[in-house]
Amino acid sequence: MQRKHSRHTGHLARSTRLVGFAAVAAVGLSVANAAYAEIDWMQQSGSKINLLLISHPFVDSLKPLLPEFTAKTGIEVTFEELAEQPGFEKLLADLSSGTGTYDAFMTSPLNNWQYATAGWLEALDGFIDNPALTDAEAYDIGDFAPGILASGRWTREPMKGIGEGSLWGLPINFETYQLAYRPSILKELGLEVPQTYADLLAMAPKLKAEGPNGAIYGIITRFDKYWDLPYLTFGTMLQSYGVEMVDEEGNLQICSPESIAATTDFVELIRTASPEGAGAFTWDQAMQGFASGQYIISLDEANLFAPVYEDPSQSAISDDVGYAPTPLGPDGKRSAGAWVWSMSMNSASKNKDAAWLFLEWLTSKETMIKTHLGGNMNPVRASAWANPDVAALVESWGEHPGQYREVAEEMAKVAGVNFPPHPELTRMLDRWAEAIQQSYFDNGNVEENLCAAQADVARMLGN
Amino acid sequence: MSGHDVEAYRRGWRARLTYWGMLVPALVILFSSLYPFLQGILTSLTNRKLYLQTEDFIGLGNFETLIHTPLFWTALGNTLIYAVLVVVIQIPLGLGFALLLDVPSRVRSFFRTTVVLPLLVPPVVAGLMWKTMMQPQSGVLNWLLQAVGLPPFSWLTDPSTALISVVLIDAWVFTPFAVIIFMAGLQSVPPEIEEAGRVDGANAWQIFRLIRLPWLVPYIVLVALFRVADSLKQLEIIYATTRGGPLNATRTLHIMAYEEAYRWSNLGRAMAIVFVLWLICYLISGLLLALWQKQEKARYAV
Repeated sequence: MQRKHSRHTGHLARSTRLVGFAAVAAVGLSVANAAYAEIDWMQQSGSKINLLLISHPFVDSLKPLLPEFTAKTGIEVTFEELAEQPGFEKLLADLSSGTGTYDAFMTSPLNNWQYATAGWLEALDGFIDNPALTDAEAYDIGDFAPGILASGRWTREPMKGIGEGSLWGLPINFETYQLAYRPSILKELGLEVPQTYADLLAMAPKLKAEGPNGAIYGIITRFDKYWDLPYLTFGTMLQSYGVEMVDEEGNLQICSPESIAATTDFVELIRTASPEGAGAFTWDQAMQGFASGQYIISLDEANLFAPVYEDPSQSAISDDVGYAPTPLGPDGKRSAGAWVWSMSMNSASKNKDAAWLFLEWLTSKETMIKTHLGGNMNPVRASAWANPDVAALVESWGEHPGQYREVAEEMAKVAGVNFPPHPELTRMLDRWAEAIQQSYFDNGNVEENLCAAQADVARMLGN
Repeated sequence: MSGHDVEAYRRGWRARLTYWGMLVPALVILFSSLYPFLQGILTSLTNRKLYLQTEDFIGLGNFETLIHTPLFWTALGNTLIYAVLVVVIQIPLGLGFALLLDVPSRVRSFFRTTVVLPLLVPPVVAGLMWKTMMQPQSGVLNWLLQAVGLPPFSWLTDPSTALISVVLIDAWVFTPFAVIIFMAGLQSVPPEIEEAGRVDGANAWQIFRLIRLPWLVPYIVLVALFRVADSLKQLEIIYATTRGGPLNATRTLHIMAYEEAYRWSNLGRAMAIVFVLWLICYLISGLLLALWQKQEKARYAV
């Protein structure tokens, strides 16, 4: 059943790369910043919309801008801000009850595959194409990085059709993954920034130092038993080893030889160069651990953590941090995961036009740039990267001027959502993550663990 | 019609009024408490997923799947071990504290107030607080261990030590509950019995073992009843510290049900797990209640 199911997927269905990102970025501010002359922004004046926002620097950058929106449109905006875990739980409870409490909400393609399947999302194409609601020229949808925008499209067929069909969400920022390192310590140890995973493995035993507050450990990265491990961070390493969850023929690759090799190397890296407790690090511990100066290399972690590393009030390393693209796999390949924060509209909303005006205003060139200047990274519009103020913001980040941006653009070329869309993908990825953790904690060998996970995932797909 | 008949009629009329007056609210309460429960059982017999519009009745299918899921048995084991450890640690510890606080002293009232403080901390906050203190590299606990020359401990971060670490946090939060109940119990021991014992030459240990402890048995059963039921359903502390990990070391039935429902939208299977948890709670509570009744009977039979 599973075989038959996934054979249809083919390769075109699965991945949406962020190609064209750098090229589009170079085009710059060519399109005129025309005011929204064409549409009547006050048409929904007096209505109210309610948002669900997930705590993120984006939200902090948005809050001071909300009065501007209300002044422009007469639409009153209220919102609830929650941490990721409780936020998505509350959203699920609200969406499944169909009450329409939230007119629009923060989400991601991964979440939307379930919400869209359930019919909880309003397709946005109709609003974009409606000249009474959207000034197409000023909005300039072509200004979005094509791959990132495409990750919000889906035909709602399991295991295929990503990048096609209706648009379920508009991107507001994205993160991909990179190495962050401590230049002074690497120099002291006489080590170079690793170019390949083999380099990193070879230098792992040497990655230790003494700092003012005790031992400095080699490597930190998140390692909890959840989907973000194979989907995002370790997923970046897996994909560079040539592993995608489903191959071109539609076969699961969770226990392929490449996957076994990547997992074996990853476990060895963590065992050699990470301290005790590394098997339970969450993303925030990985971020704070590196910012506190206790680690030499942050492996394949979110490039969105850079603003924290660079901020002296949150970081002990703001004047001693460098960035590099993730290492190359055994065949010289580099690929990376991507996380795309998006805004979607509730199909049970009673104020859809007002909610659309909000989404249109929020994802417009002008507002996006304002959010970036308020700390919302990374830009998803070419015009934002081309904005001198936004560019100046990240210019000083890294070991030398412009390093962060160079690395971010390099990674954006290879980053993408390389997974088959499925409403229960998180469950499958959670199971995969469990197998990786089992291997770290010495519960059976890598191959057995991964193959058992693959068998379970095949069963989930069979349902 | 004799006076007797009128009386009977009145009684009948009043009795009927009372009958209906009591029955209707009772039925409302019964219905409102039973309805969600029955709804839950009904859901556990379906393949209901939050994101699908349709659901099918699948009988005991969810339970059958659970039996064949190794994780279910791991979680069941963790749930029972957690409850047993909670009782085994908190009752003797609570009793010890209560006995200490029963000794007349000038600082007694100070300690009586401070001992209940952990109970006032929300379990989630306690969990987060202890998670920070138990952090292997930067936590204060390992710093203390190293200060006295002991090797660092892995606490919440290793599958072999995570469960006991969570149980210790539970003990910090809830042992004061046992202390309060036992203190009340000790105060109810009639002083004349203790005095009589002393006159007969009993030493402190004999007074404790032969007078106080038997007197405290109903209180011990009561604490056990509450702590077992509570710890079988424990969620906040575990979720705040380990979310069921590392690996599945602290994944209890409640955590498993929560993840089925909220991470994976599988309401049917989540309800099946909750039902199993309810059944365990019901059986163990029933057992403890029977124990209590038995010893109450024994006490008043004398």
